[in-house]
Amino acid sequence: MKNKSYQLGELEELVLMIVAILNEEAYGVKVMDEIQHQIGRKVNISAVHTVLDRLEKKDFVSSYMGGASAERGGRRKRLFRITAEGSRAITYVHETRNELYRQIPKTILGYV
Amino acid sequence: MKKHSPPKWALSFLQFFYKERYLEQIEGDLYELFQRDGATRKAKRRFGWNTIRFFRLRYLKGLDDFEQLTTLAMIKNYLKVAIRTLVKQKSYTAINISGLAVAIASALLISMYIFHEKSYDNFYPNVDRMYRVANGDYGRWTPTLLAQTIEAELPQAEAATKVNGLSESFLKVDDRGILQDGGLWVDENFFKVFEINLLEGSLAHALTEPDHVVLTQTLAEKFFEETSPMDQIIEIDGDPFKVVGIIADPPKNTHIPYKYIVANPVDQDGTYYWSGNNTFTYLKIKENARPGDVSILLADLYAEKVGPDYIEYTGHESFEALKKEYPNRNFAFTLIPVLDIHLKKSNFSLGTQGDEESILIFSLIALFILIIACINYINLSTARSAVRSKEVGIRKSLGSQKENIIFQFLTESMLITFISVVLACLLAVLSLNLFNELTLRSFEGADLLTPNSVLVLSILLLIVGPLAGGYPAYVMSRFNPIQALKGGTTKAGKQTLRNVLVAFQFATSVFLIAITLVIYFQVEYLKSQDIGIEIKNTLVISNGTQLEGKYDVLKSGLEQKSYITHVSKTSNVPFYGFPDYGYSVPNESGRAFSPYNAFMAPGAEKVFNMELLDGRFFKENFLPDTASIIVNQALAKNLGWEDPVGRKLERDDKIYTVVGLVKDFNFTSLKRDVGSLIIRYGFPAYEIGIYHQNYILVHFSNNNLKKVFEEVENEWSKVAGGYPFEARFLDEAFQQQFESEKRFGMIFTTFSGMAIFIALLGLFALTTFVLQKRFKEIAVRKVMGATVSSLINMIIKDFTKLVLAGSIAGVAAAFYWLSDWLQGYTTRIELSWYLLALPVLIILTLTWVVVSAKSYRAAVSNPSKALKDE
Repeated sequence: MKNKSYQLGELEELVLMIVAILNEEAYGVKVMDEIQHQIGRKVNISAVHTVLDRLEKKDFVSSYMGGASAERGGRRKRLFRITAEGSRAITYVHETRNELYRQIPKTILGYV
Repeated sequence: MKKHSPPKWALSFLQFFYKERYLEQIEGDLYELFQRDGATRKAKRRFGWNTIRFFRLRYLKGLDDFEQLTTLAMIKNYLKVAIRTLVKQKSYTAINISGLAVAIASALLISMYIFHEKSYDNFYPNVDRMYRVANGDYGRWTPTLLAQTIEAELPQAEAATKVNGLSESFLKVDDRGILQDGGLWVDENFFKVFEINLLEGSLAHALTEPDHVVLTQTLAEKFFEETSPMDQIIEIDGDPFKVVGIIADPPKNTHIPYKYIVANPVDQDGTYYWSGNNTFTYLKIKENARPGDVSILLADLYAEKVGPDYIEYTGHESFEALKKEYPNRNFAFTLIPVLDIHLKKSNFSLGTQGDEESILIFSLIALFILIIACINYINLSTARSAVRSKEVGIRKSLGSQKENIIFQFLTESMLITFISVVLACLLAVLSLNLFNELTLRSFEGADLLTPNSVLVLSILLLIVGPLAGGYPAYVMSRFNPIQALKGGTTKAGKQTLRNVLVAFQFATSVFLIAITLVIYFQVEYLKSQDIGIEIKNTLVISNGTQLEGKYDVLKSGLEQKSYITHVSKTSNVPFYGFPDYGYSVPNESGRAFSPYNAFMAPGAEKVFNMELLDGRFFKENFLPDTASIIVNQALAKNLGWEDPVGRKLERDDKIYTVVGLVKDFNFTSLKRDVGSLIIRYGFPAYEIGIYHQNYILVHFSNNNLKKVFEEVENEWSKVAGGYPFEARFLDEAFQQQFESEKRFGMIFTTFSGMAIFIALLGLFALTTFVLQKRFKEIAVRKVMGATVSSLINMIIKDFTKLVLAGSIAGVAAAFYWLSDWLQGYTTRIELSWYLLALPVLIILTLTWVVVSAKSYRAAVSNPSKALKDE
């Protein structure tokens, strides 16, 4: 699957990366917080859920139920981790971006 | 600070709408955020807001999440199995569905008809306060003075109006003229009783002047295509009228299908006495008035106003004495609710007449056909149950309860009914034209789509499905699984019940055929009656008075043609309707009676070929004959005159002498006895006024009717000055009186055809299953030497018994009903045995054809095929 191309939305890409960073500690609120801390962008919790569901459907992440806690009103977390397919996708996106960035003439970047 | 907790509504909202799988994580995250926000009021709001943001399709519960999973899965399974079964048994399914579809389609059409009939005139605002005033119990015509007197003297009356019509008039705008029917002549109170909205013009000024006319939209567009019709002049029968308003076309369910409304103010009428009945009267009572009180006052009004005139005419001492002598007659004005006119008092209708009885008959027919179709279903499914016993056995041994089996088979019948309903809608739309012809209504496809018909369809769906499927489901659910699995020998329902049902189907079919046949023969018998005059080869031209003085020109023009034998004039034509006039016998203390009356010019007797028994006919241009009359035998008999010629009668202070006696001939309807008739001299001077001889009779000896019609029309247009030619052959008018019988017959032919069709479908399928069940027996018999014909006979015998039993019951019921129906005719056929045997024979023949065609195939097939299959 060398030449397979991966289509990822911008928020999808971000969330996928965060899931990979958090490594088995990723769940809705945590991902939302992480996006805010790292990038400073506010995302609604429902949007995060939607993206996580979508990523799971695309087989980029998998999920399992974690432990419950009092602050969650006794509800368990659904924890996400990145799959091998997800890793390939993130690598692909990263490489294509880098390749594109590399081709931009240095002079132009200098003036920006 | 007070600790808040998440909003309760949000939690129940989540739990109600969101899928189990997502619920926990969503709730968890929301709780976490809530706690982090410090469980404040703001956090609470945010919790609620986020809950709503989570409202996305993917999180919502589907059907699967609501009910217990097994129930849903079973319903899915029932449906799947039902569909597979239906597809597997294609011919069986087709027979059931087509039978049910035909039945449901007729039920749908008939219910639409009934709803329509019951809806007549319900669109008028305050219709519950609107009444027609009848003269006595049945009299349509009332004195001209009645409406205005009611308005002036009856405190409970809100408004009363006098109405005449509907009439046909010659309408002319510029040089375009047509004969237009649907003219209603009313006084200025009309719109106070009938609250009709004007599309153009103002109610306050409509019909207030004697030259006002209001047009319906369609008619206005017909005459005034480009200009606005308002204030235009339209000529009606030669007089100019001004268009003062436009109204919408009346709905189909009106008892007054007017096309234009003409002012006919009270003071324009010359008849100011109470003994003449010349108009219809409508009355609207006040909101809190009681109809009972109004009736009493109307009866008093009759005694006060009409009574004195009446006794003067009859010669009674007092009005009380008159009432005493005729205790069965109601000497009063009575109230008839406008809502009752169409169905209950249809002789008061100015448009199509409804009939309460036909509604009953229609409903019964629809019910019968539905029952026949349901019986088909019951018979076929119980007969088939032997085939499906293994399926039931397996289901039961796998743990199916009785209810599950019942539900399975009910699902099948519901599915079949549903498909039939869809097909029935299509069928109903396709047969609308035929239905309109049968009912004399003008239904459109849109009329089938009313909430009422949707209601009827749903009710049919909910009733027919369980009705047809209930018994088979019950029978099959009771199968013993061991027996069912061993050899399918379980009894397939009760044979006797199936037999009774088949017999009932054929009883119904025979009943309908018998009625159809008897109606047909009765009408033919009536037509073949000697009516006493000649009605063939006579053309009747209407509007003869329009010729004014030029009748003689037309007459001589026509008489020049070799094939025209006689030309004459008359005020009334047999079967067009005759009025009755009051006469009295002088010297017998003024004994009064009301014979039919007509004015005929000399020569009319030759047109009709009347037979003279005594005396003479009228002489040509003989003034003294205006005091002569010719009477018929019935009149002589009624008055007890042995020798009528020379006797005298009196009317309006004039004495008339009988100069001739003619043999009785029928001139009203063959349904009635010949009434007393007086023929008076049609003298030219009588052309105008109420004595006008409006009809020109042309007798000819030529078989080319088309040529006669065209050439007479030619002559007419030479002298009529543009007035349209309107003529009819007299025998057509004669045939017209059988219209209602013919329609009645057509309705029965159609529906009995359908009933027979469905019953034969069922018979066909039943034969198939009987043969399937007995195919080994047939093979063994054949091997042992049975002939094909003996085998067919064996099968036919069983069915013949059933059909015969049913037919006899059907014939008995038909006999009972028909002897009652025939009582309505004075000349009628006898219900002879062969008339009743005929339908039985028809049904038996059809049965034999169907059964033997089916069993022939089984009987000629190779027996080894059937026997080796073990």
